[in-house]
Amino acid sequence: MSDEQGLYYQQGVPLPETPAPGDPPQPWGKTNVVGQKQRRVDAYERVSGTAVYPSDIVLPRMLYGAVLRCPYPHARIAKIDTSAAEKLPGVHAVITGQTAAADLDWRYRDGRQTKIFDPHCRFEGEAVAAVAAESPYQARSAIQAIAVTYEQLPFVSDERDAVVDGAPAVHDPGNLAGEPEKYERGDVADGFAAADVVLENSYRTEAELHTPLERHGCVASWDGRDLTIWESTQGAHVVQLQVAGYLGLPTSRVRVIGNYVGGGFGSKLGPGKYTLIAALLAAHTARPVKLFLSREETLLCCGNRPANNMTIKAGVKRDGTLTALELTGSGSGGAYSGRGVGLLDWLVKDLYNCPNVRTELVNIYLHAGPARPMRGPGHPQGAWALEQMIDELAEAIGIDPVQLRLKNIPTVSQARDGNPPYTVTGLKECLTDGANEFGWTEARTRSAAARTDTGHLKRGAGMAAGTWVAGAGGPPSTIVVKLMRDGSVSLNMGAADLGTGTKTVMAMVVAEELGVDPDQIQIENADTGTTHFTYPSGGSKTVPSDAPAVRDAAIKVKQQLLAMAAEDLAVDEADLRYLGQEIVSQRDADKRVAITDIGGLRRRFSVVGVGYRGPNIEGKAICPFAAQFCEVEVNTRTGEVKVLRFVGAHDSGRVMCRTTYDNQVYGGITMGIGLGMTEARILDRGQTGKLCNRSWGDYKIPTALDVPADITSLPIEIDDPQCNTTGAKGLGEPVTIPTAAAIANAVYDACGVRVTGTPITPVQLSRLLAEAAASGDRSPEQRQEG
Amino acid sequence: MTANFSYLKAESLDEAVRHLGENGARLHAGGTDLLGCLRDDVFRSAKVVSISGLDRLRGIREIGRSQRGGGLGIGALVTIAEVAEDRRIREGYTALAQAASVVASPQLRNQGTLGGNLCQKPRCWYYRGDFACLRKGGDDCFAVAGQNQYHCIFGGDACVYVHPSDCAPALVALGATVGIKSRRDDRSLPLSEFYILPEDDPTRETTLRPDEIVTEIMLPKPSANTRSSYRKVRVRGAWDFALVGVALNLTFAGSGSDSGGGGKIERARVVLSGVAPVPWQAREAEQILEGKRLDTATASAAARAATAGADVLAHNGYKVPLLQGLVEEELLKLAG
Repeated sequence: MSDEQGLYYQQGVPLPETPAPGDPPQPWGKTNVVGQKQRRVDAYERVSGTAVYPSDIVLPRMLYGAVLRCPYPHARIAKIDTSAAEKLPGVHAVITGQTAAADLDWRYRDGRQTKIFDPHCRFEGEAVAAVAAESPYQARSAIQAIAVTYEQLPFVSDERDAVVDGAPAVHDPGNLAGEPEKYERGDVADGFAAADVVLENSYRTEAELHTPLERHGCVASWDGRDLTIWESTQGAHVVQLQVAGYLGLPTSRVRVIGNYVGGGFGSKLGPGKYTLIAALLAAHTARPVKLFLSREETLLCCGNRPANNMTIKAGVKRDGTLTALELTGSGSGGAYSGRGVGLLDWLVKDLYNCPNVRTELVNIYLHAGPARPMRGPGHPQGAWALEQMIDELAEAIGIDPVQLRLKNIPTVSQARDGNPPYTVTGLKECLTDGANEFGWTEARTRSAAARTDTGHLKRGAGMAAGTWVAGAGGPPSTIVVKLMRDGSVSLNMGAADLGTGTKTVMAMVVAEELGVDPDQIQIENADTGTTHFTYPSGGSKTVPSDAPAVRDAAIKVKQQLLAMAAEDLAVDEADLRYLGQEIVSQRDADKRVAITDIGGLRRRFSVVGVGYRGPNIEGKAICPFAAQFCEVEVNTRTGEVKVLRFVGAHDSGRVMCRTTYDNQVYGGITMGIGLGMTEARILDRGQTGKLCNRSWGDYKIPTALDVPADITSLPIEIDDPQCNTTGAKGLGEPVTIPTAAAIANAVYDACGVRVTGTPITPVQLSRLLAEAAASGDRSPEQRQEG
Repeated sequence: MTANFSYLKAESLDEAVRHLGENGARLHAGGTDLLGCLRDDVFRSAKVVSISGLDRLRGIREIGRSQRGGGLGIGALVTIAEVAEDRRIREGYTALAQAASVVASPQLRNQGTLGGNLCQKPRCWYYRGDFACLRKGGDDCFAVAGQNQYHCIFGGDACVYVHPSDCAPALVALGATVGIKSRRDDRSLPLSEFYILPEDDPTRETTLRPDEIVTEIMLPKPSANTRSSYRKVRVRGAWDFALVGVALNLTFAGSGSDSGGGGKIERARVVLSGVAPVPWQAREAEQILEGKRLDTATASAAARAATAGADVLAHNGYKVPLLQGLVEEELLKLAG
């Protein structure tokens, strides 16, 4: 064994069997690297600042871009005069919709075609013109020197005002974005008739703005016909495809690099207008152009989780059997989004056993920034409504909320065609094990006993459950694992690592198969020039999509090494075992060869394994499940709420890396606290329609002091060999789905006030507590006894 | 984008006030908000005059008994963090230490100065955004008919912002005076008279003239049997302004731990934050407290009186029950 090999390989770690070429790999069973705690493979680079993020890129002769944005929610551009801006020092280009090369089509997520610089601006922040200058300051000054004459037009900035008579239309013929989305199974009328208790309540979640730490933007540079873009993105390969499409370039001529990205929660799944504007400015000036948006711009035009209005009517029998669920919902994805209510009803349709379900969703246009998917689109909002309603039902029939949920565990996915069974439904274990870990019964007993206390600090415990529509992952994913003659290994993959630990997880998969130290694996990722197509890191599907392909690639390296060793040792390949540092005959232990001594490897200098993601199992649904529990303290004098502790119990299949798994749980709960307790986009409704909270001071994401130090991550690991060859399901989104609803339920348990609208702040709760005190009533809002 | 300006780092107070007197000059101390305001075009400045190098404004000094009965003088450049941590302030002027400790975030407390905190510009999002609002020389206050959940319930007029400072209400409750230097003279006045209501001038927050600098904040020696506190309620646990807040300064009758004299409140100061364009003295609450024992009934009555005369806007009605709850809670804590 060479010295180098000792560097790379783990000592004495048993490795999985290598399947014969063409055979599928066996499920791992017990693993030795996968599932352990592991420091991130790029921890040093990220912490020390040596990691080069797209926003760190500086190229020789690089110019800085800036975008002029419409200051009104609805306006038509009558005239643009760029002459003053063009004369300013350092300015190399000013482009508008009238610039021939900038007359490009743009498609928003709803498929509506507009222009990159469209004369009809339907939201505040729409792009009007752009400049490139030698410094970012000169670029900003030049933007301000562009004289635009706007014809201001009537606008509507709240979906509750948008579908009334006389509301200004965002698009012809009106503000309803298509027909209502309807779903029905069984007969809800029968279901309500069969119920012992029927409740109805209305809920609302406020819009949340995307605000990842690294702002949106890119650096664009042309070399002849080749365009290279360093983009802060969740999906370099999709940015490549779309940019090539917009610019009419062969895909091969566009290279997108995004190997580090400072966070992305769904707003960086594809290119932005800024990507194309940077490419246009770079072409126009024949210089590289860096265009990163300001924080204010990202809040205006880089997407949001839409506000949603939901009314749920639900029927339950005294024994806890759900008989009917009916949801009507509305929402708006802004001026250009088909997804104002996307997946809002998924939990109502799929989380619990219920034979009779009807949903109707209305998607509305508004003169406001277009929505983009945000961590579990539709689901946290749906959970906010459904999971509060389940608690209300539990109280009405006098049953514990966890027990009511346990009564209605599904084994098949009722919302999917053909009702396929889940490979695993971990919901029951999430509920029971989570409740045990939390001390649910004790906590609820304590809060019930304290209900008659006169003190103003009231504790309460609440919980909520969830599932996530995606999280199965799937093809395509193409991975390359390369083993060098010195025994060192590189991993080549298309996926971005959003900070979630994708690189670390994938390195652990390689380590599990090849016996190398995960820290020693060189990783090349998210560069379309050197890696292969995979979908963006979104939908909680990166690990279940790419990890099986990584495993496949590593196995293919082993298979080739085994074949080469069989030649060297003159034994049958099936007799050989790959042990990491060496390959050994099972029959004759004297027949062994160190990896670095294998003749084929020495002659070829490297062995390359190309792995692919195979299809998912047919006829089954693969979904993660979740239950979260929390304890809060409510100050009934002021409406202040302290979140004291959280337990997140998650069935996301196999834990791949315990460190990054737990961090996802902490991060999801943190983001859920934002939805539940601090965040809300505030538009100047009825006055100017402009965004009021356009800074991190006014748009309040939670701070460390708003998140409890006491968060327990409880993985619910149930063998799921059918889900894929690693057994892992998605995690990144389920971790934020039940959070806000769990807090609302805990607040109710503490103080008897059901808060139906986000966020639960003293602004809202002090008023609700005062109203409750005035009415002197703590009874549940039971509207109808069936 | 920030318009061009010249920058002068003053080497003396005299030099600073001389340059400040020029048209369009602005003062720079900790600088935590000035550059942001210039960048966002909230206001412009032809010249930025920095006093950040004037070390004589940095210290905290004990004022001898011979001068107005003694007390503490806090230089205008003392940082918020220093105010929060100073032992003399924590022990003798608890309300101020508590107020300073809940300002903004650790970074901002390390950089921001007490003088700057008292002279803050409004945080109203219309004032800060690209709205030609009354305070910036426009015709209207957009908050009156707009998104006014964080706006005032007292003292509003054509402009309804709330003064953002936490330290100011604590200092008013503690009876602070503010020392001011200009080209012409030195003056001092009670901090309670330092602030201007919109009805008097909707474009200014304080009586400070353009060439004047706040140099020192003087606190009188606390009388025996005095307890003070400050607390604010906010949406999140750090880096957030008061939805409502209250500074209390109560002097009880009797001496030492002996509550002879019945433990009655001799003198009460109740000063509110987050509810008015100036630190708002709740005089009716003070009247209820004075001469009474601090029991639950008194606390409750004073809390109700604290919102007397509140004039709520469309979205800030919650401030009435919230303020009542907060004042009651803080009074009972001091009784404890």
